[in-house]
Amino acid sequence: MENERILLAVAVFFPMVAGIVSYLIGRKSKKLRDGAVSLAAILEFAVMVLIVARHGALGASCTVPGVCGFGLHFTVDGFRALYGAIAAFMWMMTGLFSEEYFAHYRNRNRYYLFWLITLGATEAVFLSADLYTTFIFFEVMSFASYVWVAQDERKESLRAAATYLAVAVIGGLVMLMGLFLLYHQAGTLTISELYDACRGKNVYLAAGCLFFGFGAKAGAFPLHIWLPKAHPVAPAPASALLSGILTKTGVFGILVISCRILFHDALWGTVVLTVGVLTMVVGAVLALFSIDFKRTLACSSVSQIGFILTGIGMQGLLGEENALAVQGSFLHMMNHSLFKLVLFMMAGVIYMNLHKLDLNDIRGFGRHKPLLAGIYLCGAMGIGGIPLFSGYVSKTLIHESIVEYIELLREGAVTPVLLGAGSMKLVEWAFLISGGFTVAYMCKLFFAVFIEKNSNPAVQEKYDAMNGNYMSKKSAFALMVGAALFPVMGIFAHATMDRAAEYVKGFFGLRHIHEVSYFSFANLKGGLTSIAIGVFVYLVVGRLWMIRKEENGDTTYVDYWPRVLDLEDYVYRPILLKALPAVCGAACFVLDNIVDVIAKILPIVGSVGASFLDTFIDTIVVFLRKTVYKDSPQPKELLEGNALTYQLGNFVNHVVGVLNKTAWRDRPNEKDYTHQYALAYTSFKENTSLIGRSLSYGLILFCVGLLATLVYLLLVLIGIM
Amino acid sequence: MNSIAWLLLAVFLPVVCGIVILFLPGTPKRNQLIGVSLLSLAVSMLCAFAVVLGGETKVCLLRFGGSLEVYFHVDGLGKVFAVVITLVWLMAGIFSCEYMKHEKEEKRYFGFYVLAYGILMALCFSGNLVTYYMFYEMMTLMTFPLIMHNKSREAIMAGLKYLFYSLCGAYMALFGIYFLNRYANTLNFVPGGGGLAADGHTTLILVVVFLMILGFGVKAGMFPMHAWLPTAHPVAPAPASAVLSGLVVKMGVLGIIRVIFYVTGPDVIRGTWVQTAWLTLSLITVFMGSMLAYREKVMKKRLAYSTVSQVSYILFGLALLNPEAMTGSLLHVVFHACIKSCLFLSAGAIIYKTGKTHVDELNGIGKEMPLTIWCYTFASLALVGIPPASGFISKWYLAGGALESGIAVFSWLGPVILLISALLTAGYLLPIAIRGFLPGADYDYAGLKKKEPSGFMVVPLLVLAGCSVFLGVFPNPLTQYLNGVIQTLF
Repeated sequence: MENERILLAVAVFFPMVAGIVSYLIGRKSKKLRDGAVSLAAILEFAVMVLIVARHGALGASCTVPGVCGFGLHFTVDGFRALYGAIAAFMWMMTGLFSEEYFAHYRNRNRYYLFWLITLGATEAVFLSADLYTTFIFFEVMSFASYVWVAQDERKESLRAAATYLAVAVIGGLVMLMGLFLLYHQAGTLTISELYDACRGKNVYLAAGCLFFGFGAKAGAFPLHIWLPKAHPVAPAPASALLSGILTKTGVFGILVISCRILFHDALWGTVVLTVGVLTMVVGAVLALFSIDFKRTLACSSVSQIGFILTGIGMQGLLGEENALAVQGSFLHMMNHSLFKLVLFMMAGVIYMNLHKLDLNDIRGFGRHKPLLAGIYLCGAMGIGGIPLFSGYVSKTLIHESIVEYIELLREGAVTPVLLGAGSMKLVEWAFLISGGFTVAYMCKLFFAVFIEKNSNPAVQEKYDAMNGNYMSKKSAFALMVGAALFPVMGIFAHATMDRAAEYVKGFFGLRHIHEVSYFSFANLKGGLTSIAIGVFVYLVVGRLWMIRKEENGDTTYVDYWPRVLDLEDYVYRPILLKALPAVCGAACFVLDNIVDVIAKILPIVGSVGASFLDTFIDTIVVFLRKTVYKDSPQPKELLEGNALTYQLGNFVNHVVGVLNKTAWRDRPNEKDYTHQYALAYTSFKENTSLIGRSLSYGLILFCVGLLATLVYLLLVLIGIM
Repeated sequence: MNSIAWLLLAVFLPVVCGIVILFLPGTPKRNQLIGVSLLSLAVSMLCAFAVVLGGETKVCLLRFGGSLEVYFHVDGLGKVFAVVITLVWLMAGIFSCEYMKHEKEEKRYFGFYVLAYGILMALCFSGNLVTYYMFYEMMTLMTFPLIMHNKSREAIMAGLKYLFYSLCGAYMALFGIYFLNRYANTLNFVPGGGGLAADGHTTLILVVVFLMILGFGVKAGMFPMHAWLPTAHPVAPAPASAVLSGLVVKMGVLGIIRVIFYVTGPDVIRGTWVQTAWLTLSLITVFMGSMLAYREKVMKKRLAYSTVSQVSYILFGLALLNPEAMTGSLLHVVFHACIKSCLFLSAGAIIYKTGKTHVDELNGIGKEMPLTIWCYTFASLALVGIPPASGFISKWYLAGGALESGIAVFSWLGPVILLISALLTAGYLLPIAIRGFLPGADYDYAGLKKKEPSGFMVVPLLVLAGCSVFLGVFPNPLTQYLNGVIQTLF
């Protein structure tokens, strides 16, 4: 046990130390560094093989106490050991290939440093015994691998790398939220204890958060965006590892959820299945439409991860009976790692010779290069699920698990969760069609690179001249070893793949694996249906539609994929980089300045208030004088006339004014009626006074006469007497 | 010598030395000035270590009026703060030796720098609220000259803003002290609170406590009184910003801890509107600070907004009033002090060597000053909370404490906001490192000049960046010590 413990620690920490050492070596001598790096990868593989070989001691665990508070915990079982070994194998192979590929690159020292650190972190993720350790190394892995994607520092590389990092960081944080919730609910993060700790608790939210985080790394829809962007720009060996292994760390996490936290949970299985089917279909369609060699492979990775997730979903749905799904999803996971190793390295061969990846540019490169064609065909037939190649076995197993579930549903042996037999039939067809698409896009690449001639004869001549010296012996060795695995594994499926499944079954909670006769007619039927669909799709879409005839008779591949369907450019980036920061930023800007504004306004308000209080009594006095104690207004002295004539004259003036503008426009009346009326008034007043005076004179005369009359009467009276 | 003498030396030696430096006749030679300053700092720090290694020391210096006394009491919490302050102060001091070459009037700078160290020590070792308040005001006044050091109009206005905000906060705190003097059993710091005799005055006490939180929160940069930070930091010399942001703001935090956990007791505000308001304000600050930092283009201002956000992580943890969250808070006090001072010092090194203050100008900076930017990168990763660097550990405890607390809404909203803020933190810190190390394929490698600063700058950066990573990888001794302190509080 003690030895295993040391082996585990070595597997994790040796590559990291080796990375730093080789970095230091690299500052002195580049050649020595290359040797040291390869040696480190080979040693790491040897260590992992040793761990796999010492099968009897599985269950060994290793603890590094105190690190990050809770300590680091590692353990090993069949699945972990085997996958760790696959990871080391891939590192070793790409390491062999890198030497030639990177020969003219700058900053190689940096690349190798992070390359080895990532190796250590990846091993640590696969070997981790608790999710805390998983998370720590998951983050280390994400950040270290960022450097590879950005390695050549072109503008588009940096952009793609930024996308990769953003997805990794966001995924990591959501995963962390999931860990918080899980730890709070379950009280433990040790993977082996999670099943008991979570039983009977509603941990769907925590599981969902974890799924988001791991799914982002795995490339599940709708977080697959980083794959099609990052792969075409990353160096080919890096793409091989990103696609082959790093995505699988995400799958590993999803397996932990499905096989521990929500073990045999049908509802959870449905969720994973739905995501898996979407990923599978979306990836397949994207790959079919792509006209860039590496982009096609990247989208293909998305699709294949979808196949794996579908298998994992079926594990949950089938519960106890899930042997087929377990075998299928594990084997497809393993196969896909190896396919992508070979295919991406093969893409690397093209890129290091041509520095181009567009199908129209690289067309015809592979003509008369039988070795390269053979290698490609092995990979393509493997991933396409052609019988006698390894991919056929894993795809058949997953397909059979779906078929089995549909039968169980029809028999009523299981109660359907959300998806009934009809929907499951749809899932089955989605599976077969996606499989067909796989065949179709691999055909497209094959015909473009190996069969067709380049539209420019001069270029074709140049390509033909490269025959025989387009890759070094070391690279050819790495490619051939990888490619040879697929037919061997496919033909000797029981001896190789079934044994691998047997070896790992403990992790999946599976008691006995299911022996399947892969070449019975029932099992061949699904695969052959897929292939038939694939050939048809290739002929219709790949040849008739995607190839456009130019006027001069040449043909070109056309990218018909509408740009607006790019989730990253048209949804995520605008929302995350423009809309949200703008809205939140504006709100925060207000919050930020609120006190300063108040601090500016307050003195003004204060001084206004103070001056108000200061002049308060004055104000009252003024107010009173304006209202109650108002001086009576000085009567207006009219120059002529009186108030009545003035008002009347004014009124008439206005009326006349209006008339002058309208009816009398020809002969306007220019008289001032106030004056007129005033004159009239004056004359009236004079007349009145004249009359008055005459009247009073008359009265006086009347009075005098009356008086004389009275006197006369008096005198008469006296005379009579 | 007995422990009391050490304590008094740790507090008053730097004060005396600082005053002596300030009144040195004429302009002393640069080497002499630096020699004297560093020597007096070093000696004071040795005294401070002697205090920290000693037991619980209590000493009453003065007594005015009946009950008001200047009283020192060395306890576990104070020791943690004292150690952090000592470390960062020393590092920023060494950094200043080189950095201050391009500023004038170094005598004033170093004088106040040494003096302020003594005041901060006094704050750590204060034994009651009155003493704390006294030195708190003094700290404001002594750090003010550091901010307005270059005496440009901008700097003076920033200094005044700092002064007014701080005084405003301190008066709110003082107002609270009046009432607590009447209602609390004692103003001395007793772990878990000395108890209140305030039956029937619950509302009054709550208002008073809230005012004190707000008051000390001004220094800690809590919304709504955070605005002095982004104004003061860009104009202050980088090492001054470093200690200001790393340490001086933490004295506001210490003030709040002393009031809530050592005078009134956490149960007074548990479940009341004060706790809710405090949680709300701190979460608003966390989000607002990160968002504004994300949109800010001036490097030091960005870091200042970052401080606003990060210190409110600490306040959020305190406001949850449970041991686990408080562990997270105190861990974050330590981590943030190292990280933020490292970030400010690297910003200072960049300014010193290249004169660049704007983040968009920093393309390829990592090729020019690799060590500096490596330190910056590690500190950034630690602040974002990428394991195994330190910020991750404190956030783990904070989120765990929040979920543990079971307070409606906040128990899940808190972690969510912490994570969103972490995302923003990544968004505003990492691009600088990325653009620094990956300048693009068209970068002019031929015109590359190495601009790595001298050892006076690089060594402090390495030490602080090392601490921010190392403390994350091996946090257990610190966590255990803090747990010991915290256990006495609940």
